[in-house]
Order: sequence, then structure tokens, then C-alpha cells
Amino acid sequence: MPTLAPPQKRRVFPVLGDRVFGAFGMAAALLSFGLFAWIVWDLARLGFPQLSWGYFTGEVEDSGRAGGIGPLLVSSLLILVCCLGLVIPLGVGCALWLSEFVKRRSVAARLVTGGVDLLASVPSIVFGLFGMVFFGQVLGMGFSILAGGLTLACMILPILVRTTLSALESLPADLRPAAAALGLTNTTAIAKILLPAALPGIVIGITLGIGRALSETAALIFTSGYSIRWPETLGDSGRSLSVHIYDLALNVAGGNTMAASSALVLLALILLVNSVAVALSEHWLRRRHQTP
Amino acid sequence: MNPSALSRQNELNCSTSGSGCIVDCGTSNLCVSELSVFYRDHSAVRDVSLNIPTNEITAIVGPSGCGKSSFLHSLNRLTDLIPGCRVTGSIRLCDGTEITHPQADILSLRRRVGIVFQRPNPFPQSIRRNFEIPLKEHGWHNRDIPDRMEAVLRDVGLWDEVSDRLHKSAIALSGGQQQRLCIARALALDPEVILFDEPCSALDPIASGVVEDLIHSLKGKVTVAIVTHNLAQARRIADHAAVFWVRDNAGALVESGPAARVFSDPLDPDAALYLSGARG
Ligand SMILES: Nc1ncnc2c1ncn2[C@@H]1O[C@H](COP(=O)(O)OP(=O)(O)OP(=O)(O)O)[C@@H](O)[C@H]1O
Ligand SMILES: [Mg+2]
Repeated sequence: MPTLAPPQKRRVFPVLGDRVFGAFGMAAALLSFGLFAWIVWDLARLGFPQLSWGYFTGEVEDSGRAGGIGPLLVSSLLILVCCLGLVIPLGVGCALWLSEFVKRRSVAARLVTGGVDLLASVPSIVFGLFGMVFFGQVLGMGFSILAGGLTLACMILPILVRTTLSALESLPADLRPAAAALGLTNTTAIAKILLPAALPGIVIGITLGIGRALSETAALIFTSGYSIRWPETLGDSGRSLSVHIYDLALNVAGGNTMAASSALVLLALILLVNSVAVALSEHWLRRRHQTP
Repeated sequence: MNPSALSRQNELNCSTSGSGCIVDCGTSNLCVSELSVFYRDHSAVRDVSLNIPTNEITAIVGPSGCGKSSFLHSLNRLTDLIPGCRVTGSIRLCDGTEITHPQADILSLRRRVGIVFQRPNPFPQSIRRNFEIPLKEHGWHNRDIPDRMEAVLRDVGLWDEVSDRLHKSAIALSGGQQQRLCIARALALDPEVILFDEPCSALDPIASGVVEDLIHSLKGKVTVAIVTHNLAQARRIADHAAVFWVRDNAGALVESGPAARVFSDPLDPDAALYLSGARG
């Protein structure tokens, strides 16, 4: 029997197709990088000349047209601390409950995951209004760093829950029987085996959350407020760096160059946090798979 | 199966008067009677009665899906982890502790009856932590842990290979080393019984041989029940053998007794075919 040749698809300019596709991909990649480079260049061009030691330690003067951002850095940091103080136990606890204590398809688990996912799609201005009413008025915190931090915690909760949950779910399935077989309690298994194993994923979640929190404006305007004084307690109002940028750009005539300086600092902070997290999780991964 | 074979077999399964017996454990460490395992309404193991003698090696063989793992895992209540799994019947330790009792102290029970799985499963932490976590949980003092760890690592022949990198990750060890680590970790808790569920089938022939010799060396020190698909291995190391088979859609024990007798002169026709290599 004669062998049948496989049907041939006719290709006109087969190589040309690949080339066009490749060129398109490269153009898209270049454009994306170009956009990033342009933003950084623009910020640096406008903002870099103002940067000095005094800029980081000095107080805001003339509505931000002069002086520095010292109090704002402190406020931003304190807001972040309040935020993480709430969101880490809450987010990790929630993910642990979902992955270790309830059945995936139970009504309770679905309600919680559904609720968390909905939270993720709520616009940040809504969190701001909620925080103002709930933390500011109902709980009587007023305009304060604490109210701002807690509002941010609600906002980044879904990120942390989702990343922690997927870190826990991607652990090898046989860790749990291994722990049970040695007569370990659930608490020991979670605290000493599952959580340490999921730590790189959790840290990545926290980092993503910090990035989000540092750059957030809308949720903070109505909660931690505008004050540019050095904060003394968590009950004081304090302006975050992002709110400062927003204010300079929008409300202060001639504030553009100083806005660029602050934006440059913010960008550097976020890059720093991200690279620390990447370095940490790479370190953990390497330690785990260390060759003998 | 003819009636005389049946009765002879019952006699081998249960040292006293037939089923429902309060098993006279005699020289047995684990006395299983009328054990059934269900996954929801499907029964995976039905009415198995078997004595597992103290400090000897009992091999459990049989074709895939005949309920060997289900049986083994019910012996230290790992079946509790599976939603919808239900176990009926009785499993007694030699001091009379009833393993299937709903109020049994599962944690101390699992210390007394250890298990090693098919795939090595060290915790993704340092070799030392793999021992510290379970030993601390069961009340060992910090100062005693290093000696205990060294002793069991020597028992499994791993000490010389890992003594200079106890702080390194256990995941970085080879498969065979990981499996020996898991055996050492189970031994560290000083169990009376160790269950092995196909401990060699994820290993290459050489590592498999090392682990087999190690299990063989446990004879006389601890009671061993081992599920294996490797009949030659079962022949080499077992003192007693039990053959499982699927009967009426559920796993059942069709043959058990001294290994030499079971392997040379099986009574059950299915078991005979399986053991001769003609089926299964
Ligand atoms: N988690 C489970 N849920 C539902 N059914 C199960 C579960 N585990 C096992 N079974 C069923 O129970 C029966 C016995 O399975 P088991 O794993 O005990 O067999 P086995 O003899 O160990 O097989 P193998 O030699 O392949 O390991 C099979 O029919 C299997 O489908
Ligand atoms: Mg099995």
C-alpha cells in the first residue's frame, strides 16, 4: 500500500510570519520599558535637584514649595506599621482557617472567599469613606495615623489572604499526613511546619501589600488626614508621602518640582521594599533546595 | 475456596475461637479483628482479622486496589484525615489499648504506632529540625535530643553521611537518604510498631536494597508491618505474610500465616496464582 503523505498546509512566506511576530513582540517590550524609563527620567529630571539630606529630615515649608518631607516619612512609616500590625494576623489567620480548618466547598468557606474577593474589587476611595466613618467616627479615632493604617489594612487584606492561601495550598500534600503520622497536634503542624514552609509566599504577599499601601492616596485623605507636623502619637493626624504628592500636584501652585522629588523618593522606597522581598524569598528557596 | 481451607485459614488469622473473639494477643503486638474500612458507602476493606506478631516482620501483599493501604492506615488512625472514611472493628495493642476507640488518645497512639510512606516526606527544614519538632512534641528534653537523633541516625546508617550537615535542608538529600531519614524520624519516637506502605517503590534498586536491609535489621527490635508489591522482597524479609484480595467488591484477607508456608503452599487459589506470579 502506498504511504499517504500528510496533508500539507500551504505557507506563504513562512519565515516572514515569524519575523513579523517577533518584531511586534520586541516593539511591545521596548515600548513598555520605554514608558517606565520615561517616567523615571521625567521624575528624576524635575525632582532630583531638590534632593538633599535636609530634604529627608526637614519640615514642610510654604505648603511644600520649600523645606523637606521629614514628618511625612515618619507618618508614612507609622501608618504602614499600624496597617501591617492588623493585616498580618488577620490575613494569615483567615488564610489558615480557609486552608486548614474548613472544607473548601463548605458554605462558610465560600462566603469568606467570596467576601474577600469582593473586597479586592472595592475602589480605594470607598475604603477611605468607610474608614472615616467606622474608625474615625464610630470608633472615635478621628483623623489619625491609626485610623489611616487600619483602613489600609482592610484594603490590602485580600492581597495577603490570597497570596497566603495559594502559598499554603501549593505546599506538598504529604506534609500534613507526615505531621499527623508523627503524632503532632494541628497547632504544631501549622506553627512549626506549614507556616515556615509557606513563609516565602507570605512575605511576597506582604510586600505586594506594602507597595499598595505606600502608594495609596484616596483611602488616606479622609482617615489619616493632612497634618504636616511631626507625629507624636498614633492618635495624631499625619500626612503620608502619597497624599503629599497629590496635594502638591493638585492644590499648590508651583509645587510640581517638589511633587516630583517626593514621587522619586516614593518610587525608590517601593523598589527597595520589592528588592528586599525578592532577595529574601530567593534566599529561602536556595536554602531549601541547597545541593548537598 | 473449600471449607476445610477456610477453617484452617481462620485458625491462622485469629489465635482464639473464630470471629468476634476478644483476641488473645499472646505474642502479638497488634490484634486486628473484624476490621472494615469504608469510604462513604464504598467498602474498601471488609472483616479483616489478623494478628501482627511482636518484633517480627509481617508482609502484606496483594494486587492494586485491594485495600492494603487502607488497612495499614487504619492501624494508626491516619484514616481519620480522610473525609468520609469510616473504620469499624477492633485493633488492640498488646497492653489492651483499643486503637479504634473514639476517645483514644490519637497523638500518643501515633507515637506508639509509626508509619513510613511510599514517597519520602521529610519536612522542608534542616535535618536537625526534622527530629526536634516531633521529639519536643512528645516531651523529650532539649538536652536529650542530639543524642537521640544521633542514635537513630546511626541505626539507619545515615549518621556518617549527614553528621556534618545537620543544619542543612533535608530536602537536599537523595531519595534513598530521605527515606532513611523518615525511618529514623519514626524510630526516634521509640514506637512499638512501625508500618511501612511500599517504602521502596519510589527508590532506585540500590537505595531500595539499602532500605530493605534496614527494615530487615529492625526485626527483633520493633514490630513491623510492611505493604509491598515486591514479592521477592517480601520473601526475603518477612516472617509472616498476609495476602489481600478483592472479594465482592471489597478488600479481604484471603491468606495469612508464616511467610515460608504462605509463599510455598498457599491455600487460597487466587493467592496461589498471585504468589506464583501468574496473576495480579
Ligand atoms: N481517599 C479515598 N477515597 C475514596 N476511595 C478510596 C480512597 N483511598 C482508597 N480508596 C479506595 O479504596 C480501595 C482500596 O484502596 P487502597 O489504596 O487501600 O488499595 P491498595 O491495596 O493500597 O492499592 P495500591 O497497591 O495501588 O496502593 C480502592 O478501591 C480505592 O479506590
Ligand atoms: Mg497502597
